[in-house]
Amino acid sequence: MSGGKVEWLAPSSLDEAAALRAERGADATVLAGGSFLGILMNQGFLQPASLLSLGRVAQLRGIAVEDGELRLGAMVTHRQVERDASVRGGWPMLAEAFGLVASPRVRNQATVGGVLADADYASDPPAALSALDARAVLRSPRGERQVAIDELILGFYETCIADDELLTEVRVPAGIERATYRKFRSRSAEDRPCVAVAAARAGGTLRVVVGACAEVLQHYPDICSIAGNESVDGELAREIGARYAERLQPLSDSRGSAEYRRRVVAVEVRRAIETVAAGDPLATEPGR
Amino acid sequence: MTAIGVDSRVTGAQRYSVDAERPGMLHAAFVRSPHPHARVRSVDASAVPGECVALLPEDVADLHMYGCQVRDEHVLARIARHPGDIVAAVAAPTPEAARAAARLVEVDYEELPAVFDPVEAVAPGAPQLHPDGAQSADESVSIGVRPLAGTNVCHRFRLVHGDLAAGFAEADVVVQQAFRTPSAAHAPMEPHGAVAEWDDGALTVWTGTQTPFNLRADLAVAFGIDEERVRIVGAPLGGSFGAKTFVRHEAPLAALARKAGRPVKVVLDRTEEFVTLNRHPSVIRVRIGAKRDGTLVAKELDCWVDTGAYADCGPGVATKLGYAGVGPYRIPHVRVDALAIYTNLPPNGAFRGYGAMQSIWASERTMDVLADRLGISPLELRRQNLLRDGDVFATGEVLHDVQFERCLQAAADAVGYEEDPTGKGLCVLLKGMQTPSRAAIAVQRTPVGYEIRSAACEMGQGVRRSLQLMGAQLLECEPGQIEVPAPDTASSPFDTRTTSSRTTHMMGRALEEAVGDLRAGDGERGYGEVRNGGGLDPDTGQGIASTHWHQGAASARVTVDEETGKLTVEHLHGVAYAGRVVNPEGAELQNEGSLTMGLGTALFEAIEFADGQVANANLSDYNVPAIGDLPRRFTHEIIEREGAEVHGLGETVLPPVPAAIGNALYSLGLEIHQLPITAERVLAAVDVRDGRA
Amino acid sequence: MRVELQLNGRPAELECEPDEMLVEVLGREGLSSVRVTCGIGVCGACTVLVDGDPVSGCLTLAPQVAGREVTTVEGLGGSDPVQRAFVEAHAFQCGWCTPGFVLTAKALLADDPDPSPEAIVEALGGNLCRCGSYVKIADAVRRAASEERR
Repeated sequence: MSGGKVEWLAPSSLDEAAALRAERGADATVLAGGSFLGILMNQGFLQPASLLSLGRVAQLRGIAVEDGELRLGAMVTHRQVERDASVRGGWPMLAEAFGLVASPRVRNQATVGGVLADADYASDPPAALSALDARAVLRSPRGERQVAIDELILGFYETCIADDELLTEVRVPAGIERATYRKFRSRSAEDRPCVAVAAARAGGTLRVVVGACAEVLQHYPDICSIAGNESVDGELAREIGARYAERLQPLSDSRGSAEYRRRVVAVEVRRAIETVAAGDPLATEPGR
Repeated sequence: MTAIGVDSRVTGAQRYSVDAERPGMLHAAFVRSPHPHARVRSVDASAVPGECVALLPEDVADLHMYGCQVRDEHVLARIARHPGDIVAAVAAPTPEAARAAARLVEVDYEELPAVFDPVEAVAPGAPQLHPDGAQSADESVSIGVRPLAGTNVCHRFRLVHGDLAAGFAEADVVVQQAFRTPSAAHAPMEPHGAVAEWDDGALTVWTGTQTPFNLRADLAVAFGIDEERVRIVGAPLGGSFGAKTFVRHEAPLAALARKAGRPVKVVLDRTEEFVTLNRHPSVIRVRIGAKRDGTLVAKELDCWVDTGAYADCGPGVATKLGYAGVGPYRIPHVRVDALAIYTNLPPNGAFRGYGAMQSIWASERTMDVLADRLGISPLELRRQNLLRDGDVFATGEVLHDVQFERCLQAAADAVGYEEDPTGKGLCVLLKGMQTPSRAAIAVQRTPVGYEIRSAACEMGQGVRRSLQLMGAQLLECEPGQIEVPAPDTASSPFDTRTTSSRTTHMMGRALEEAVGDLRAGDGERGYGEVRNGGGLDPDTGQGIASTHWHQGAASARVTVDEETGKLTVEHLHGVAYAGRVVNPEGAELQNEGSLTMGLGTALFEAIEFADGQVANANLSDYNVPAIGDLPRRFTHEIIEREGAEVHGLGETVLPPVPAAIGNALYSLGLEIHQLPITAERVLAAVDVRDGRA
Repeated sequence: MRVELQLNGRPAELECEPDEMLVEVLGREGLSSVRVTCGIGVCGACTVLVDGDPVSGCLTLAPQVAGREVTTVEGLGGSDPVQRAFVEAHAFQCGWCTPGFVLTAKALLADDPDPSPEAIVEALGGNLCRCGSYVKIADAVRRAASEERR
């Protein structure tokens, strides 16, 4: 693959990494796990001049619960999220959703920070994180800011991360009573999602996020609000599903046409809401 | 108990054609047309670095057109006929440098109108792909190519049996249905790879191919040299399924090596695999008539078979597709009209099943519709009309060792069809073997035992093992004492090809002869050869289609999420008649592999095109079945008969899978006419059934 | 650049460019069991174990394995119980994908010595065998499991 000489930057501390990022900006391609970057490089879409590898930064590898909030370092792998006892205990839907990505092999490599920063529309974790109202921590010499997942992802492979910023951590709030993630595959059991629906109920608020159907995550708080604080019956779930399907402008790809996705969204949103409305606390249902 | 040696496949020591190396070799990259149909005005390679060698149109001006059944292909396309057609090539010291240099070649194109659908391609006014006509190849397997001048039809196969009009006049019920099948990728794990080298006007190509002798013959034609001056050295194939047949990348590679004066190697990348050879898309219209009691009286098949930019073996595929669509039934009046049609898609060629899947899908789906109209069980309708021993097939052949009923019954029993047919489907098939054909084997004594030389190619189907087992039995030694080298046209005796599941059958017989010869002679060496005569008249479809018949069946049980159309195959069962099994584990693997590929074919495999460009040329957007796709119950059986001859098994249970699943859906009122049976198509069928569409 | 690692149980140094994929560098080392196939991490034919976990050699940059332990099927010798089980179960046809399956199975069994059928499907889900040998591959994993437990 190698064209000219490529520079390899491998800082061992977060401060050093952040400083290099600020200094090099877009000239240095940030490398987390590499599972997405590798595809781009193999297909000739990307020929980095320098690679800024975060692989040696131990501070980015932590999984912690602080003040009830889950903190996932950017370099935590999908496999770790999937198997970590604290995640499974407190945020089982998240463990489930990360565990549905590709194969264990890819999950050994793909990271929490990477999957958000690459902003691929057909990934599982963004919808799940967004439904749980997670925020990404972005660090630069200008300071630290936190952005919601649906503010982070702006379009196909496009985020709000500035050239001097590093995504260092993802924080998931406590207090989610019930949540579910539904991965609808239209083809092979190993396919990426045709429609992804994540739903969560926290503090009386219902959040339903649809992924894999459009350039960015689709979350309609006004439609969710008709659920109110009360338990949602089947009729209301159907109504919310229908409204999501009506408002969504789905894309067409190998996994389904826009019209088909609209039909599936109505069904899968309804099913997701039925699960969070009727299920046990912290219910998860295996992805399909 | 099998002796357990260290198999090179588990240690990683196995070498394939992509591992071939020659001293001083360069690496090639191809320059491919981005347009579906365009005349090459000029090629400018002046920007290519001096360390590289570029192959330009003028370098191949002395070369001849080639093609295994129709000589319609140039070594470099003067008119690009599909996106991905090779118009120039570059050799460089490394693969990366070659790819980079290929990007620097400037090609000036004049775009031409293009056509991407076989039915549109035969409509008046359609763009013509080969307006000057092309010469049919006088290759070793005569197919009797029948082009229709002034059209895109490169071959028309017709079969006429009885009097069709009279037959339909007798029918109480007539059903007509049309079906479509898409293009599909063989997607062998190992891509196409080869090294070509010239020495004093003689060409050697190290390549993974199923057809070493056909490749030799065609390269000799292209380069205008004697066949003896072309040597093909085979290697184990990392899967093929029909992909590595006839001339593919080898012709431009050999021309590049000629110009470079050095050996040149190429390994295609995954994207290129999708424009190298695919499966024929088809449109098939079936009309079938029966008497009220279920007796079939007439059947008519019209088939539009899309062979893409070049004929390749499309004429043969259209022929086999045509007669396989008649099905294993006694039908007094039959007409088949199958057209192999050029379009501006990548070339389509041999694909496990060789056209049989396409017409069996159409034909066997129609049987269930007919059964429904007649108010007869689909199982009973089939049983009532199946060919039996001594019956005459529509080609005029008398069939022997007929096992269709056993196969069908076994398939039905596996899913409990007779107890309750709801959500269940059946399919039974007849499929021919490459005919005429010839196979030869040479056996020689070695210090450890024997060497069996043949042109049979090992591509995972276990032919090496089968030859070892058969040889051990005949030669009264241990299988491990028998060496089976990879084919080499310089030393292997002639073979038609390793296709159409004919190898075990033909080689088995040739081996018996060779061992007999060895015994009769000095005990040191023996030679055996088998020739199967036959062939069909392309205008009437009469003659010998196959010297033995592949017979099989499949059954499926499905459930459907009717809100999303998501289909779950709960149980899939395949049945193949094997005659006599040589290599039990190999036979099981072949059956399981065929069923798995059939499942992918049925449920999700389809190359998608946008203006002829492949839109899903990678293994993420083009899914192939993974272990998680296997149904919870995934079963099969191999039927044997005492004293029977050896039958090939390599592709018997792939073709019936789509129709078995389609018929299972039909039992739920869901009518599917197009493969693959995606969730989206199932949902549309639910809408139709429920009156929503 | 130079990457130091443990390769198949021995200290090794790989000479590579920072943007080279591990599969290519290992190929240069003669470890041709790690095979470029899909180039996008879907098929598993270039699987290697890094510190015991399977990863895709086609998506791992060579410098990412600095200081780590990399295992390819060549490193198992030939009489590893998983390799033996694959031979005994006839769990391959063309053999192209076999090294990836063997390594993936090896990692599974290290983690879960008695995997359920579902766990086997889950673990092997990302390895493609176009010849369709899955039934016997799953059988091989079960054989290896009972062999190793013995």
